[in-house]
Amino acid sequence: MNKGMALILISALFFCCFSQAASNSAAPVFSLAWSEWPGWSVFGVAHEIGLIDGASGKMGPVEKQYNVDIELKEMEYDPCIAAYGAGQVDAACLTNMDTLPCCGGRSSVAILPNDTSNGGDMCITIGINRVEDLKGKTVYGLEKSVSQYLFSRYLEMKNIPENDVKWVNMDPGAAALAMQQGNKQYEAIVVWNPFCLQTLNTRKDAKVLFDSSAIPGEIVDMVVVAKDSLAREGGDNFGLAVVDTYFKVMQRLEDPKTAYQTLVMIGEKFSNLDLEQMKKVRQGTKYITTAEEALNFFRSHEFTRTMVKVIDFCVSHQVIEKAPVWGGGDYRYLDDTDMIFDHTFVRRIAEAGKSGKAKP
Amino acid sequence: MIICRPFRSKRVMPFLGLVSLLLLGGIYFALSVHQHARNPKDTTIPNLQQLVEGFKKTITPSQRGEIWLSVDLKATFSRLFYGLFIAIVLSLALGIGMGCFATLEGLLSPVISILAKLTPTAMLAVFFVIFGTGATMFVSMIVFGIVPSLTQSIFLAVKKVPRELVDKAYTLGGSTFEVIWFVIFKQVLPVFINSVRLSIGPAMVFLIAAEMLVGDAGFGYRIRIQSRLLNMNVVYLYLALLASFGYLMDYALKWLNRRLCAWYSAG
Repeated sequence: MNKGMALILISALFFCCFSQAASNSAAPVFSLAWSEWPGWSVFGVAHEIGLIDGASGKMGPVEKQYNVDIELKEMEYDPCIAAYGAGQVDAACLTNMDTLPCCGGRSSVAILPNDTSNGGDMCITIGINRVEDLKGKTVYGLEKSVSQYLFSRYLEMKNIPENDVKWVNMDPGAAALAMQQGNKQYEAIVVWNPFCLQTLNTRKDAKVLFDSSAIPGEIVDMVVVAKDSLAREGGDNFGLAVVDTYFKVMQRLEDPKTAYQTLVMIGEKFSNLDLEQMKKVRQGTKYITTAEEALNFFRSHEFTRTMVKVIDFCVSHQVIEKAPVWGGGDYRYLDDTDMIFDHTFVRRIAEAGKSGKAKP
Repeated sequence: MIICRPFRSKRVMPFLGLVSLLLLGGIYFALSVHQHARNPKDTTIPNLQQLVEGFKKTITPSQRGEIWLSVDLKATFSRLFYGLFIAIVLSLALGIGMGCFATLEGLLSPVISILAKLTPTAMLAVFFVIFGTGATMFVSMIVFGIVPSLTQSIFLAVKKVPRELVDKAYTLGGSTFEVIWFVIFKQVLPVFINSVRLSIGPAMVFLIAAEMLVGDAGFGYRIRIQSRLLNMNVVYLYLALLASFGYLMDYALKWLNRRLCAWYSAG
């Protein structure tokens, strides 16, 4: 290979690494990473019914209204965290807990609570009928995740020391599979949907020892946007468009005429569960269906208390080393805050809803 | 420029190797600087200071009282060595058996060639049923993952042993066992060592993939949990360790080949 070729190759490599994707379209492009989950598949549905167009360079009516181009990027949940943390996307669908490790490296603003887990995360047991009987047993589930949080919180509520029960890390899909196959070693697992329902369907002797409805409102699924992305031109409109899109789909889910179809669409890619099963998933996921509800949720004392508990858990379980600086309010006035729960986006959509005209 | 011409000085090749390694490091730190310029708090492409922090984290006892690095090294490498050991013994026996005895060849070669096309990572459910989820599963995944291809390459090497050598050994009065040991095995050894060298990569892939899903110790486990938490300083350290282990193994087996089979030039 001659020097010229080498130079070209190396410079091409650098170009790939450092060049920002340039866009010529008038509307600024913002990317949102999402994974299949009842509360987040809503954005996939919004794309399918044409409210927004998830491709970069194409715009649906909501995007036109706010003059912002939303680029949807579907991926698995863990890659969502990685892509968001690495700054590859402007926004991502994450839980309140998984945002905490991200915000240390990238100041983050939660603009929308989509739903809370209300039974969608379960501790499933075989032959164990009381929580007290878990003592000395081994429970399988993903370490440092909402599963372990649920487990830890529930034991705390029942005054059982966490050390009495052994938590062993395992991928939720793998743990559910091992239990479904009748592996004797797997007496207790903590997993989330669709693995819960799949396990309960396969193993008739499986029992739900407890689920996330025991800690209502503590596992929150949200849309999180990087602070510097919001500060970019059109950032505010992006936030508003995302929030507006979400509640427009929620309206369809609440409207008896379109509810069935919307639920099926949400469930389509989520797992191979039928409509009846999807209704159960729907119960396990408590949607926040209106902007007013979201506004009240963010501003409630319960939510603040929840975040204190979640952060305590994360620090004591080495999910994060120290608590981030966090708070609620308009992100523009909260400098040096790593994690902001900003209610102003849902408030503006709620106000626009009342006046009947959404104001970009 | 004329192709296939070696350098006159022996120092040029190592020098070029060093240049490429330095370039790799340079690109990494350039990326890191770039990323930190955009976001000073970035943890995804850690700078030197963050990497040192990550290293400290892996060698100080955690709340559970365990030192990550030692726990993970023990878990991963015991699994890997058991797996490799069993795979090596098994595929040597199978490969030489198939090459020497037509009955075995007829019986086994279709199965082996089918199994060679399957990736154990895609059959996790099957492994759960047969081997459970303990240490046996990791070991069996490595064994199933590399035995077919290893067997195939040994089998082909046996087939390539010159017929005259075998005939000569027989006419000199060698027993079948002696022919296998003194002729076939010795002839196959360099190819075999080379194939083992090339199998370590896939074996690591299967093991790490399994560890990412099951288990609470090991490189795969730590990499998964720590990348979920965006502690990339720990993740990169582990990746570097994996890479250097692979490099060392490669080097060691090449050396072994030169040492044991000096007659075989393609080490």
